[in-house]
This record gives sequence, C-alpha cells and structure tokens, in this order.
Amino acid sequence: MFGPFRITNPLSGGLLWKIPWRMSAPQKYRQRQRLRAVDKVVETLSTALAKKGETLKSLELWKNDMPTEAEMLAKDKYTMFDRKAKRYRKGIHKLPKWTRVSQRVNPPGF
Amino acid sequence: MSFFRITLHRSAIGLPKRTRGVLAALGLHKRAQVVFHPVEAQFAGMIMKVKELVQVEEVDRALTKREVHAQRQPEKGFFVERAVPRMGDVGVGVLGRVAALQGQGQGQAQEGEVRL
Repeated sequence: MFGPFRITNPLSGGLLWKIPWRMSAPQKYRQRQRLRAVDKVVETLSTALAKKGETLKSLELWKNDMPTEAEMLAKDKYTMFDRKAKRYRKGIHKLPKWTRVSQRVNPPGF
Repeated sequence: MSFFRITLHRSAIGLPKRTRGVLAALGLHKRAQVVFHPVEAQFAGMIMKVKELVQVEEVDRALTKREVHAQRQPEKGFFVERAVPRMGDVGVGVLGRVAALQGQGQGQAQEGEVRL
C-alpha cells in the first residue's frame, strides 16, 4: 500500500501519460499569442489583396465566421465542445496538434 | 508590385499530407526559411491553408536569397564598452588613454561606449 513498491498506474502499467484537465496560465498566454499571430496573417492578406482590389473566398469566409482573439470568449479560447465530456467541454490542449490547428467556434448553445 | 514575405515559423511535422504539400508548393522546406511570392489571390489562398504555420509580411520587392542571408548577419566589428588598462600602458598611464578615447568619442563616450 505504501512505500517505494506500491501499486500505482505508472508502476504497474509502464507508460502512462497524463494530460492535465486544464491549461496553465503560461499555456493560455501562449495560446493567445498564437491566436493573434493567425489574426495578423489574415489581416495582412486581406489588406494586401484589398489594395489590388482582389477578393478571396476562403479569406472572406474566415473573416465572416471566425472571431478574432479579442472578440473570443475565454471559454472558446481555452476549451472546446466535446459530446462525451461532462458539461460538454474539454480543454483545447486535448485536441491533437492543438498548437498548429485553428479551433475557434463551437456549436451554438454549448 | 508588392510581394508576400513568407517565413515558415512552425514545422509541419505530423500534419496532414495536404498541408505539407501546400508548404512544398510555396517552396518552404525548413523552419525559418523565407520565400517571396507576388500579392495574388492564388498565393493568398495557399497562405490561408497554412496560416497557423507561417508569418507573413507585405513587402515592396522580393529579396534574393543572398539579400535575405545578409539581413541575418550581425554587424561587422565590435564595441568596447569600457576601456581597460593594457600591458603597454605603463608610460602613458591608463587614465590618459581613457581620456583620449573619451575625447575622440565625444557624446558616445559619456554613455560608456566607444566605437573602435
């Protein structure tokens, strides 16, 4: 029960990785920086194309549908919808490749 | 004619083949690599596909590979932040040499920095 040979999950099962259920403050900070970086890219593209008088469907769709970092709620910045999770939310850091994919909107009402 | 200056900031390791294909089409193969493409909807669309991985600026002209390399080089020469006594300074006196340096430097020497 106690001591160095107690039966714990990592000791008896070998490899066991645990992802904390919520993000730390620096993780959230870096997440905001990444969101802003994407906003900046989108803005650069749209101003550059606007100068030439061109439009781009994917760019317009993004600007219509996706909120910017400043417009997003904290709930949507750091958590995402999950139908299996309690209260339908899980940390966004559980999403595979979460630092390199965009996940900004969630189903309305959740 | 203006250009997009595109820098690959995040690696595409483990991302879908389509994403890596877009990067290859843009000519980006390794992190911190810089490429230039004209401001056109075609290239903007490609950048949109990989917007999480790149940093984009709008610039007036496309730099050559050599110019990009030159921008990354540090300035030549060095700064002496404070004059230090040397072995040959016995006759002249350290203070005299430091004063001479400060005389040359004028305003700069006040801040403790002498450009040699």
